[in-house]
Amino acid sequence: MESLKISITGVRGIVGETLDPRLLTNFAEAFGTLVGPAAVLLSRDTRPSGPMVTSCVAAGLLATGCRVIDLGVCPTPAMQWAVKSTDAEGGIAVTAGHNAMEWNALKFVRGDGLYLNASQGEELLNVLHQGEFRKATHREISPAVESDPNLPREHTQVLLRHTDTDAVRRARFKVAVDCCNGACSDFSPRFLQALGCEVVPINTDVGQPFPHEPAPGPKNLGQLRALVAAAKADVGFAHDADGDRLGVVTEDGSAPGDELTLCLAAEAVLRRGDPGPVVTNVSTTHAVDMIAAQHGRPVLRVRVGQSFVAEAALTNEAAVAGEGSGGVMFPRINCAHDSIATLAHILELMAHSAQPLSRIVAQLPDLHMAKLTIPCPPAKVSAAIESIRQEAEQGVFGGAVDLEDGVKVIDANSWVHVRASITEPIIRVISEAETQAAADDLAERFARRVRQAIL
Amino acid sequence: MPAGPSPVHTLKISISGVRGVVGESLTPQLVVGFAQAFGCYVEGGVVLVGRDTRQTGEMVRSAAIGGLLATGCYVIDLGIVPVPTILIAVKLLQADGAIAITASHNPAQWNALKFARSDGVFLNSYQATELLDVYHQGEFRLARTAEISEVEYDDEAVQRHLQLVLGHTDLEAIRSRRPKVVVDACNGAGAVMTPQLLEQLGCEVTAINGRPDGRFPHDPEPIPRNLRDLCRAVKETGADVGFAQDADADRLAVVSEKGKAIGEEFTLAFACDTVASRTPGRIVTNISTSRMLDEVAERHGCPLVRTKVGETNVVETMLREAAVIGGEGNGGVIYPRVHFCRDSMSGIALILEGLTRYGTVSAWARSFRPSGMFKTKMECPSARIQQALAAARRHYGDDELDLTEGVKVAWRDTGRWLHIRPSNTEPVIRVIAEDDTVTGARRLCEEAIRTLEAAIQA
Repeated sequence: MESLKISITGVRGIVGETLDPRLLTNFAEAFGTLVGPAAVLLSRDTRPSGPMVTSCVAAGLLATGCRVIDLGVCPTPAMQWAVKSTDAEGGIAVTAGHNAMEWNALKFVRGDGLYLNASQGEELLNVLHQGEFRKATHREISPAVESDPNLPREHTQVLLRHTDTDAVRRARFKVAVDCCNGACSDFSPRFLQALGCEVVPINTDVGQPFPHEPAPGPKNLGQLRALVAAAKADVGFAHDADGDRLGVVTEDGSAPGDELTLCLAAEAVLRRGDPGPVVTNVSTTHAVDMIAAQHGRPVLRVRVGQSFVAEAALTNEAAVAGEGSGGVMFPRINCAHDSIATLAHILELMAHSAQPLSRIVAQLPDLHMAKLTIPCPPAKVSAAIESIRQEAEQGVFGGAVDLEDGVKVIDANSWVHVRASITEPIIRVISEAETQAAADDLAERFARRVRQAIL
Repeated sequence: MPAGPSPVHTLKISISGVRGVVGESLTPQLVVGFAQAFGCYVEGGVVLVGRDTRQTGEMVRSAAIGGLLATGCYVIDLGIVPVPTILIAVKLLQADGAIAITASHNPAQWNALKFARSDGVFLNSYQATELLDVYHQGEFRLARTAEISEVEYDDEAVQRHLQLVLGHTDLEAIRSRRPKVVVDACNGAGAVMTPQLLEQLGCEVTAINGRPDGRFPHDPEPIPRNLRDLCRAVKETGADVGFAQDADADRLAVVSEKGKAIGEEFTLAFACDTVASRTPGRIVTNISTSRMLDEVAERHGCPLVRTKVGETNVVETMLREAAVIGGEGNGGVIYPRVHFCRDSMSGIALILEGLTRYGTVSAWARSFRPSGMFKTKMECPSARIQQALAAARRHYGDDELDLTEGVKVAWRDTGRWLHIRPSNTEPVIRVIAEDDTVTGARRLCEEAIRTLEAAIQA
């Protein structure tokens, strides 16, 4: 696999191979040229390459005449909230999110706190490739990179104001939390303490490497499950490296899956009566539809990707939005995936329902998913998707067809979604049904069709 | 000295470092590239970074640190400090090198990177050429994630430098006289440290232009025409002496108790006089420095060694000759007991110490034979430089010639001399002369320029 990804979502690469200082200053200069001269916020996760990347980015931004406010190690959603809440015109998050340690990346945030959308991302790349950056004169260049430790704390205060803190405090939950030695290592345990929880933290040493892959899916939650069981905790939460995605472990030590995070958050928000629809992507569990239906709310589905979900959430004034990866956003706070805000809502749901989390989960729709990836040469991806689309529209597979993002075929009790990855040369097949066997069969049937189409 | 910025010629990559105008040629790209090259050159070792007070310092610093970290260097950031402080710290902290971010006496729109090696001396021309080769090759080693470290901040470097200077000064002599001193740090890197030094020396201090914010109140080169504020302040306060530093506090100029800028050539002569009087030994300077150095050497029976122009040339000769003191006539005093670098702090301490013997700056200045120097330059296409120098050599062929660098002519009977040398950084020829009066020196320069111009046009 190539170790550099330049796309409309930013730039991602392996430090020591492709993500080198000149590329980083170039991207920062392009971004500074696009949004500046203006204030730009920086945040980073705990990867050891963070200070190197941040230095290069600060230099590039300063050279274009931007003011730079460096929030240091800080959850990405806190930085996004700060961009929205101050006069900053943009932000750059130095984080490769759920990717492994040796990766790092720049993610670009616009003035309203959302990531750049596809056309803004394209504009950034055009400035980059044109290579003509704004050059500030020595009088226009800021003499110092500023810092503002209060901004991330204000974000925490806002989250507390949006939570029924009395109910949560009364419940006196015992909470195990795995911070993956990431950006939430300091923020999350302090936030939980402010909610009156007894906190059992692990992996909160920002000087140490990630103890496991940072994606908070079930396969990386072994340590947390053991901790929940050993500590007899009421719940376990897992953060990724930069605090956008959340994984959940119930009090019986099981990890029901990353799709569950959005379901629990949606249940919490809709039960509380926040107005507005639910927004998610076409590949996320239909349990979300069933939960929304119980509260009489519509579900809007958009293309896969945080920026699509965020823009739709903003436009439609959603009550809650998110993706099956464990990333959930609360538009009343900000349209950004926010793992600390998410755990606050789940704790509130637990407090209000006064039931163990496993019982709450048991009352949610019982659906099963299968996810397959099929390697495909980049030149053959669109033809393969097109051939599946034609068959779907001809009714070969039965069911309703949704062409929002690739091809999705929806039956009464199941669905399957075929789409191209935007970051890797693969085609993804995702299915959902009432039993695991049915989901597996469905995904395998479409995967075979995709493989035939590639040949 | 660079003339006004022009988009084509504002980048100077040379053996003395990388210099450019920010907003034109000194881009983050260039800085990270050179920092990576230097990181490779020191094989990912410990590198110190320090800067003067220029407004663009933070931008350049960020880029330099990014480049160094990416090659696996361990970076210690000293913040805003005088250049000599950085070089001293390299040695004390046993670092593998340093990057000094300063355009020294150049105007505010300029900035530069200067590279020092593990003994706290700037790269010599061979080493600088090696570094340029690494840069131009462009294949920098990229450190893996696990090899990249956090930046360490060290704010003790100034105190260490201060103690070193105090330890090699006759404190009692100065303190007992409690001299009244005005200092003009040009809002540069010496703004914080110099008043501290003077207070510890027991002086009554008035600081002007003492905010380390990089807003230069005048051109930072410490030559008489830039010292009007200081001259006025010396008169108004009735001070015994005035000191002026450039932006990175390596060069020093002196103003007399009468409020007169006596010229930067006196700085080294005074400092050498003090050191040679208490510890006689070899003195080293360049061939373009005043004949006052010959007088000092004679006065104390010390050998004087002259080198090519340039701090590194003087420093390397001092190391080889085990010199007791040395430097350059532009106000750069090198006092090896403190460190082998130009250091205005050492210069200040040595001059205050010597002042206790001579009473006043004017009296000390009068102890030398009257001297007037004139320094000028003329443009010359690179391709014509050799023929211009050859013409000068022929023209002055009957006189005593020194061909160490360019052409130096000495008239021993009158003490006059004339030095013609090509610049290392610009297509110009520099012409410098010394006589009993500035008018006399100027005449010598004018005659030389006529000869050179005729040769260029031929």
